[in-house]
Amino acid sequence: MLKQLLQGNQAIIQAAERAGLGLFAGYPITPASEILHELVGKKHIKVLQMEDEIASINACIGASLAGLKVMTATSGPGFSLMQESIGLAHMMEVPMVIIDVQRVGPSTGMPTFPAQGDIIQARHGSHGDYFPIIFYPNSVEELYRYTFSAFNAAEESLSPVILLSDGYISHLYETVELKDYPIAQRSMPPLGTSNRHFTGLTHQDSRPVTSSPEAHRELLAQLQKKCTETSRNYSFYEYIENTEADTLLIAFGALSRAVYQFKDKYALFRPIRLFPMVEELKDVASRYEHIIVLEMNAGQYCYQIERLLHREVGLVSLPGGKIDIKEISDRLQGLRQKLPKQVSVS
Amino acid sequence: MEDTVRFKRFLKEGNLPTPWCPGCGNGQVLKSLAQAFEELNLDKHQVVVVSGIGCAGRSAGFFDLDSVHTAHGRAIPLAEGIKTANENLKVVVSSGDGDLLGIGGNHLLHATRRNTPLTIVCYSNEIYGMTGGQASPTTRLNTKTLTTPEGNRDVPFNVQAIIKAHNCFYARSTTFHLPHLKKCIVEALRHPGLSFVDVITQCIVNNGRRIGFKDAFEMLMYYKNNYKINDNAEFLKDNEIGITRCAGV
Ligand SMILES: Cc1ncc(C[n+]2csc(CCOP(=O)(O)OP(=O)(O)O)c2C)c(N)n1
Ligand code: SF4
Ligand SMILES: [Mg+2]
Repeated sequence: MLKQLLQGNQAIIQAAERAGLGLFAGYPITPASEILHELVGKKHIKVLQMEDEIASINACIGASLAGLKVMTATSGPGFSLMQESIGLAHMMEVPMVIIDVQRVGPSTGMPTFPAQGDIIQARHGSHGDYFPIIFYPNSVEELYRYTFSAFNAAEESLSPVILLSDGYISHLYETVELKDYPIAQRSMPPLGTSNRHFTGLTHQDSRPVTSSPEAHRELLAQLQKKCTETSRNYSFYEYIENTEADTLLIAFGALSRAVYQFKDKYALFRPIRLFPMVEELKDVASRYEHIIVLEMNAGQYCYQIERLLHREVGLVSLPGGKIDIKEISDRLQGLRQKLPKQVSVS
Repeated sequence: MEDTVRFKRFLKEGNLPTPWCPGCGNGQVLKSLAQAFEELNLDKHQVVVVSGIGCAGRSAGFFDLDSVHTAHGRAIPLAEGIKTANENLKVVVSSGDGDLLGIGGNHLLHATRRNTPLTIVCYSNEIYGMTGGQASPTTRLNTKTLTTPEGNRDVPFNVQAIIKAHNCFYARSTTFHLPHLKKCIVEALRHPGLSFVDVITQCIVNNGRRIGFKDAFEMLMYYKNNYKINDNAEFLKDNEIGITRCAGV
């Protein structure tokens, strides 16, 4: 099997190429830019450097409807610009892969220190209700593997699938075995074959229906069902059991790499599919008295977990791009003494 | 089928009526587009129409072929994505002046720079029609709108200059000069690079009646009397309509 030393962003490219990427449209931004430059010149992949991220995602929508597998890659500021059209892609049921290599925000923040501040933006950044499938790997090998999953889930759900990364793992170099994973075929006939109307308006049978609450609810329910059912085929997480421990730590992405250090004292759970949230966490969490979420933001996923588990969850919030083992250890110690004991009945 | 109605094969008659007000010029532009497709004897599966948001933006949904109704201002980059993915398709953007020149203006600048082979038909009613009649990028100087009660102080967007700066195809017509309008669209569709057809069209409800026109007919008569056809100009004057010369083509 072919093994290569690759940077995280390069691993995404390797996988995308094998998964059948046909067009990439993007706009430069660190720490995602390598994906744009290193795709240029590849046979069979069209690359468009657009005038901004809004144009990039719309070019992707057009090319996807026209029959190609498409991808764009950006970081927080560009991801914010894409939000309106992410909602559009959900409404029009357009498969695509969006890579968001997170850096410290809000705004220009600390370019280009890593962060995990786009969790809620990825889930809820566009207006209205939609149900995105979101993966967040924690190694170069996983960026490679889950890029295939992102392309496949996009085809299966006919929706934009988000692959989160961060400045650390996208710029990390690790050895990757370039395995072949199953590849989904294009699931939709391309433009120029029919008389369909793709619209962001609420619609029924490809016709706008703009004053029927029933039609809207039906459409939403269909979109939700499709994304949720697809996501069940992609239930990715890592659980490191610890029968001695009374506390379960939850972490993902770059930070979860540091959290492995604490596996002797704690049990660890790492969701790889962040949304829809992995249901298995409910059962795992019920075995521990305390739950602590560690994340490089002010608690974005922690609140989601509280809602999922209906219990109080401790938070170690680490914004600002710093990952320091001593700091994490001290914060965990301090927090554990304060947390009330509870075991949920699930 | 009689020749004069063959253009109807490009329209979804079952989706009619359109949401447009009585007297609105948009229907004439829609029909002219269908007639131009017919004149070129295009295959329905060869054409894709893309619109943005606004009254004009609803046009895409009335074509009996694959069409896309994207977000406000984003028809051009979406169309560029389609064209890049499948260069055999004729990709037509059919949208409003606010959509293409206001919120989407930056995309137009860059699409002309790239000279992406698209035909862009701009319904220039000089107003944001759908949202009730606010000033648009093409609203004339001193015109009163909801947002310019004292008269518009901003110079209208010189779209001709922008299109021609990058040596793309530019033509202008009105909803009074229908045979000319069709001809402009046909020539635009024949052009190998980016082509832009600026269609002066009446929004009677949210523009015309506020600036003193009694009805749509009066607006059309104004177009008739005000505009002269000049199909061989380097650059059209304000009161001219026509197909401008495109160097090197
Ligand atoms: C991002 C965004 N901003 C604002 C709007 C509201 N809006 C809908 S149509 C429109 C103006 C359209 O004007 P134009 O393109 O000239 O079309 P017309 O209605 O005049 O045909 C606006 C501002 C929107 N839909 N999306
Ligand atoms: S508001 Fe103006 S542009 Fe819109 S449909 Fe009515 S007349 Fe036409
Ligand atoms: Mg307008």
